[in-house]
Amino acid sequence: MNHPTMTHPVQAAVAVAMPLQPAQSAPRCAPPWRAPLLLLVAGLAACAAFPDQLGLITRIFITGLFVLSLDLVVGVAGLATLGHAALFGLGAYAAGIFALHAHADPLLGLGVGIVAGALTALVSGAFLLRYQGFTFLMLTVAVSQIVLSLVQKARNWTGGDDGLSGFAMAPLLGRFAFDLEGKVAAVYSLVVLVLLFYVAQRIVQSPFGLAVRGIHENRARMAALGTPVFRRLWLLYTVAGALAGAAGALSAQTNAVVGTDSLSFALSAEALVMLILGGAGQLTGALVGATVFTLLHHTAASINPYHWLFVVGGLLMLVVLVPPAKAWAWLRQRAGGVR
Amino acid sequence: MNTLFNILIDGLAYGMVLFVIAVGLSVTLGLMRFVNLSHGAFAMVGGYCAAWLTREAQWSFWLAVPVAIAATALLGAVLEALVLRHLYRRKELDQVLFTIGLSFVLIAATNAIAGPQVQLIVLPPLLAGSVDLGFRTLPAQRLLVIGAGLAVAAAAAWTVTRTRFGVWLRAAVDHSGTASTLGIPIRTVQCASFAAGAALAGFGGILGAELMPLEPYYALKYLVLVLVVVAVGGMGSIAGSLAAAVLLGTIETASRYLASEWGSLFFFVAMAVLLAWRPNGLLKR
Amino acid sequence: MNPTRRTLACALLAASGLALAPVQAQAQSTAVKVGVVGPFSGPFAHYGALFKAAAEAYVATQGGKLAGKDIEFIYRDTGGPNPGQTKTLVQELIVKDKVDYLGGFVFTPNALAVAPLIQQSQTPTVIFNAATSAITEKSEYFIRTSYTLWQVTVPIAQWAAKQDMKKVVTAVTDYGPGIDAEAAFKAEFAKQGGTVVESIRMPIATTDFGPFVQRIKASGAQAVYTFLPGGPPNLGFVKAYNENGLTKAGVQFLGTAETDEFDLQKFGDSALGLTTAFHYSGAHDSPENKKFVDALKKRDPAAVANYASVGAWDGMHVIHKMIEATGGKKDGAKALAAARTLQWESPRGPVRIDAKTRHITQNVYLRKVERVGGQLVNKEVQSFGPHGDYGLDAK
Repeated sequence: MNHPTMTHPVQAAVAVAMPLQPAQSAPRCAPPWRAPLLLLVAGLAACAAFPDQLGLITRIFITGLFVLSLDLVVGVAGLATLGHAALFGLGAYAAGIFALHAHADPLLGLGVGIVAGALTALVSGAFLLRYQGFTFLMLTVAVSQIVLSLVQKARNWTGGDDGLSGFAMAPLLGRFAFDLEGKVAAVYSLVVLVLLFYVAQRIVQSPFGLAVRGIHENRARMAALGTPVFRRLWLLYTVAGALAGAAGALSAQTNAVVGTDSLSFALSAEALVMLILGGAGQLTGALVGATVFTLLHHTAASINPYHWLFVVGGLLMLVVLVPPAKAWAWLRQRAGGVR
Repeated sequence: MNTLFNILIDGLAYGMVLFVIAVGLSVTLGLMRFVNLSHGAFAMVGGYCAAWLTREAQWSFWLAVPVAIAATALLGAVLEALVLRHLYRRKELDQVLFTIGLSFVLIAATNAIAGPQVQLIVLPPLLAGSVDLGFRTLPAQRLLVIGAGLAVAAAAAWTVTRTRFGVWLRAAVDHSGTASTLGIPIRTVQCASFAAGAALAGFGGILGAELMPLEPYYALKYLVLVLVVVAVGGMGSIAGSLAAAVLLGTIETASRYLASEWGSLFFFVAMAVLLAWRPNGLLKR
Repeated sequence: MNPTRRTLACALLAASGLALAPVQAQAQSTAVKVGVVGPFSGPFAHYGALFKAAAEAYVATQGGKLAGKDIEFIYRDTGGPNPGQTKTLVQELIVKDKVDYLGGFVFTPNALAVAPLIQQSQTPTVIFNAATSAITEKSEYFIRTSYTLWQVTVPIAQWAAKQDMKKVVTAVTDYGPGIDAEAAFKAEFAKQGGTVVESIRMPIATTDFGPFVQRIKASGAQAVYTFLPGGPPNLGFVKAYNENGLTKAGVQFLGTAETDEFDLQKFGDSALGLTTAFHYSGAHDSPENKKFVDALKKRDPAAVANYASVGAWDGMHVIHKMIEATGGKKDGAKALAAARTLQWESPRGPVRIDAKTRHITQNVYLRKVERVGGQLVNKEVQSFGPHGDYGLDAK
């Protein structure tokens, strides 16, 4: 992965204003709406092509959004975290509890999920972001396990280990009821994913996003430049929390059930694996990784549930030994000829 | 009062198991800066070997355990020499990904070979019974665990401070570049430490088989606990791992006795507090 | 290096294509499709294997067809309690694979998650295991052939009171069925004049039961009533009970599924004398049971006759009768109507499906572990007679 080396603020400003070198990965020349539009078209095509597997496709959209939010934290800000599921899960539970006790409108519930995710990130980030590296990683694990324990304890609100169920979503926009085949759920998730993908793109390509990338590359230097490092990271973490909360809310609404597995360490680890598989830092890599991993899991698990671990384990080891970035570069070289 | 003694004894036993498994990871993390998330798999392999030897091959427990530990050490050494050492220079995330992949493969292999059920290690009559301590009956196996944990701690401390290998190890941890220029065989030290860490993990898996049942997902299920002990104790610090393991083990046991509906909440709160207070390890500044 | 990368890229693309491409044969088969949903991987994988063995054994004893129709089983793995994934899998089974019936379900959250789906699609779903009373209320298409905690707990609470026990402590796993067990025992035991001195709830992830067993000892009760999900937790709890000398301390063991035939032999002699109340023992002495055990062993020699496999066996019987009633066509309402009237001799004893609750009414037996012919078995000492699901009345 090539990141621009920003050695001088003027040079950095020049790089933003006039992106010349095509070998750089960010900032891009492409307009920020192009990738989301492509995503929308691809998603709708998938829905049309496989109308009886919309459940799986919806799951891919939601997982993609979750891994996208993780990419902001891991790929852009460089903070390796194994506790991201806490943000997802709390978004899911918030949306579920809201639908069960207050109002079953999906869009309101989505808003509640976003707020829940953002608030959790805000509060936990205030504590977590004071640390770095391995300490930060372990503290994210601690926070997410604490959240899990609290949710398990609060049986009356969350259903504990039995999960939260029994709520039915009202029709979307008052007209589109969630149907058995999952058509409404799929399009709803896709639209939310595309919109939030666009938002993420804009943020990453903005000066704020560049500052965060700078912090990733060299924290001390950015601090020396006068960047309020903690505040930048905190804001980014909160935004990532909002996206994760949205993914959680979508999951709660399209499944009409929330389980404690949405807060589990396994989910955080799986998301991290998906992200690294697809390539961290590019945002699109998050979506690719989520899609490939989910499809592989689905296929292999239906053939043999245990042996699928051979497949994914082998794939992971292979991908590390043969990084995808190099693989793509090699493919491009073979296809494009001279480089 | 009774409850307090119970908590202390059970907590000590649990902490010792965590210590024996974690100490190897702590040393390799501190020494090679290599994030090895397949460490739990070594504990699992050790336990499975001992289970197979005592149950299927009908060997005596006292013979099977050293053999199982040796087998795990061999597996560790082979993996390190052939595959893992190429990853020392890679980014942490790459190491994480690779070792998670390795764990998956080991889990699937274990399931393919031995099936998904819990594996029991056949204990010898000496350990299979219970010891009456007056105020409670303690399974004899727990006494072995506590004794073995203390022995491992003592042996590790002695090795590190009194033997040549220990000197090499400490030098390599502090500054491997300078150490190698001084003629210390860094590769040998790395491979031997990794193998020793794997062996200890295997031993921990055997000791802990009563508390942490051996089944294929063992490799990942208890990994978080081991990582917590390593983080709180400080990478590379044996004394730190011991202190962290016993402290956290006791807190977890206490919460099971006194407030079991809260699950592992207190364990992780304690962990967060300790880590926030001493990010570099309990006994380091 | 080049071939590896190329192969990698191709493999990924192939896998993606394979996953989404419709794999089924396009020809319309007249087979009746039964989707079986359960854990086929992870620590509870034995449930899945037992469901499969028992279901296929049942079809084999009927001559390979049920009511003259071929049966196509589609197995899906839920792993553990994973309601989101279960819902996706069942949605796919209903919409893509177009199953006629569903069976399985070990964990309560997974069953609860699919309630709206089966209600909307009118797919009769037979629960082979999940034991929380409230499940059958969530959709009228749920039929249960396993048991509920209220069903097996009420008789033993009455029995305990008759044995002049006054103080009992309950120790259950902190989830739906466990909480049902605790509530059922407390209610019934209090009605009989006894007291539950302490109610211990053990987190579902517990592997070390030592602390809980020490608490049981310290509670001063005459007996402990316990319920845990099958598999590693049961094994751990009974081991802890034995190793910590609770029998010697005078705390009697009153259980339900802890002496599961699946793990029973592992306990050795320390399990002798353990008392449980449950609806099925592999050692039940009846020609039906012998037929079941033989068929099961023939199908899969490693399979064990226990509450999970008999739940699947009887579940397939219900599905058999539903296919018979609808002539092999998909008609949820008709199938359900037929199921409500069912009554038959199961390997566990005489059973019938309660028309109102759609739950199986069956005999509950008092059993003690004994060694018979070198093997440990749950010997039925007494029959409490037929019981229904009291949990639904207690609301």
